[in-house]
Amino acid sequence: MLKNIYVTPLNLLKSATSLQQQVRTTFVLKRKYDPPLHKTNEKPRRMRAKYFIYELVEDTLVKKRPNMEAVLKTFVEGVGDKGDVVSMKPHFVYNKLLLPGLADYNTPENVAKYAKTEAEKSAVKHSSAYAQRTVNMLESIVLAVVMNKDEPWVLEPWHIKASLRKAGFHCREECITLPKERIEGPDLKKENKDFYCTVTINKLEQARLKCRLHHWSTDPSERLPYVLEHWKQNSEPLLEVGLPQKPGKEKK
Amino acid sequence: MQSVLASMRALALRPPAAETLRLLHLSAVSEAARKGTREKARKKKVKVEVKKVGFIPHNQRNKKVNVKRADRHVDDSWKQVPKDDCYVGRYYRWPVYSVAEAIQCHRETHHPSMYNVPRAPLNVDIELDMQAEKTTRFVDNFQRMAMIPHRFEHGEERKIIVFTKGNSEVLEAREAGASLVGGVELIKDITGGELLLSDYQYVIAHPNILAELVALRGLMKRKFPNPKSETLGTNLAEMIVKFSSGISYSASKDEYQQNFGLITACVGTLDMDAGKLEENIQHLLQDVNTMRPKREGRFITRVLLKSPPSSEQLKIDPFVYVPEMWDKSSAKVKREGARKQPEPAEEPHEAVATN
Repeated sequence: MLKNIYVTPLNLLKSATSLQQQVRTTFVLKRKYDPPLHKTNEKPRRMRAKYFIYELVEDTLVKKRPNMEAVLKTFVEGVGDKGDVVSMKPHFVYNKLLLPGLADYNTPENVAKYAKTEAEKSAVKHSSAYAQRTVNMLESIVLAVVMNKDEPWVLEPWHIKASLRKAGFHCREECITLPKERIEGPDLKKENKDFYCTVTINKLEQARLKCRLHHWSTDPSERLPYVLEHWKQNSEPLLEVGLPQKPGKEKK
Repeated sequence: MQSVLASMRALALRPPAAETLRLLHLSAVSEAARKGTREKARKKKVKVEVKKVGFIPHNQRNKKVNVKRADRHVDDSWKQVPKDDCYVGRYYRWPVYSVAEAIQCHRETHHPSMYNVPRAPLNVDIELDMQAEKTTRFVDNFQRMAMIPHRFEHGEERKIIVFTKGNSEVLEAREAGASLVGGVELIKDITGGELLLSDYQYVIAHPNILAELVALRGLMKRKFPNPKSETLGTNLAEMIVKFSSGISYSASKDEYQQNFGLITACVGTLDMDAGKLEENIQHLLQDVNTMRPKREGRFITRVLLKSPPSSEQLKIDPFVYVPEMWDKSSAKVKREGARKQPEPAEEPHEAVATN
């Protein structure tokens, strides 16, 4: 029994030696006071206490590490497509790409292994790494479409484009598809009502954009009272068709 | 102790002479002198009075101290360039529009179906790096008049007084739109105090009256007509048009960041032709660029087109119209040219105006 107890810890110690890693706790120091030179063919003088005072030059622990490269095994949102060699911060690569198995180290073998095949190239699912993020953000907002209260208008794609630009989204006019119904104004019955348009990114991804109609007058006295954070308030649909189907609302 | 003993011994050994005794300073003379110096030093000491400061409410305290302010020179070059045809602006570099595109964007938001302000003014914000030749020196705030080829209603009152002799010139100046035209009699009025020069923003003169005009030099000071500022010349009508329609702008440094300068100027209205607006912007930028300090790097850092009531700011590329970097060789050539003939230095100004 005793023997067994003794044997096992010895083995554990042995195996631990193979796991030895370099400890990155190097501090680059500089002497605060330089010790004087000693004479030739003489012993160096005894060092005084002040020569052992040091100043920190560099702490390697807090140094920014260079980017790391990895080959993607699949499409990763916000990073890249399959077979792409991406260069990111090392911690991101370890934790978000290598550990979940989304990527591998950048070696010629891995690049060849994960390169896209012809079949995969033809079946495009994602137009770019960030298109999905744009879709998510477009679907999360309620876009304020500010139209005039006094002049007659018919809603057109460029109205949505200008409203998107005011909200910080840049897109082309061709990307926007309006609902089939004509939306005309000014009509205060349509104030603060919702409709949906479709934004097509890179002719592939589609986002349903929730728009809310508002009326604005050039004359300040004619303007409607300001509503704080209109997107947090409930509102009714402007059009009956082309809506997400909610049984409760259809009956009304 | 030993040394004292030694000196004592020396004294004992030597014959007691009067000279050696005097070295001991036994008299009170030296002490009296020291008394005075001490008094002086005491007087010199200034009493430091500590003023008691009562409680100052937090909202009245000086907020300017120890506030970390963001750099007003915005650099977004570390951001990505968008590749998609629809993207979220905040993750990418600012889009750089051409002037025509930017005007089109503003026209969209000011369309009758949206803001309904089609005649809104088009403002240009020019951001400058005000650092001069040395890093610790800065370009002074400046105010200038940029000549533009296409005039518009700037809404400022600009009174122009014109001094000239001949009848034909007087008529010409009146037709061009000068507020007051006159000759020697006008000079007499001013020296007599019947007319105030301060009522007029600009003074223009024909060279034929220059001899009489010298009497007003002290009154006009910096307003005195001179060919360099294009207020003295034979072509009166052209000069008057320039001063009545030009863009008056001023560059001011940021209060807390000396190397950041900003010019806000109106170059026209949105209902003007886009090409004309572009030419106005071009002339304004070229005029601003004449103030460039002789150093490497950019002077104009960013140009934004704005149009109230919309808060949109659209970035345009100014380096289509003015050189981006300072050209050392061209400056040398200019200086040499100026040394040979003093006149060509003024030529670019005139070229700007006639375009």
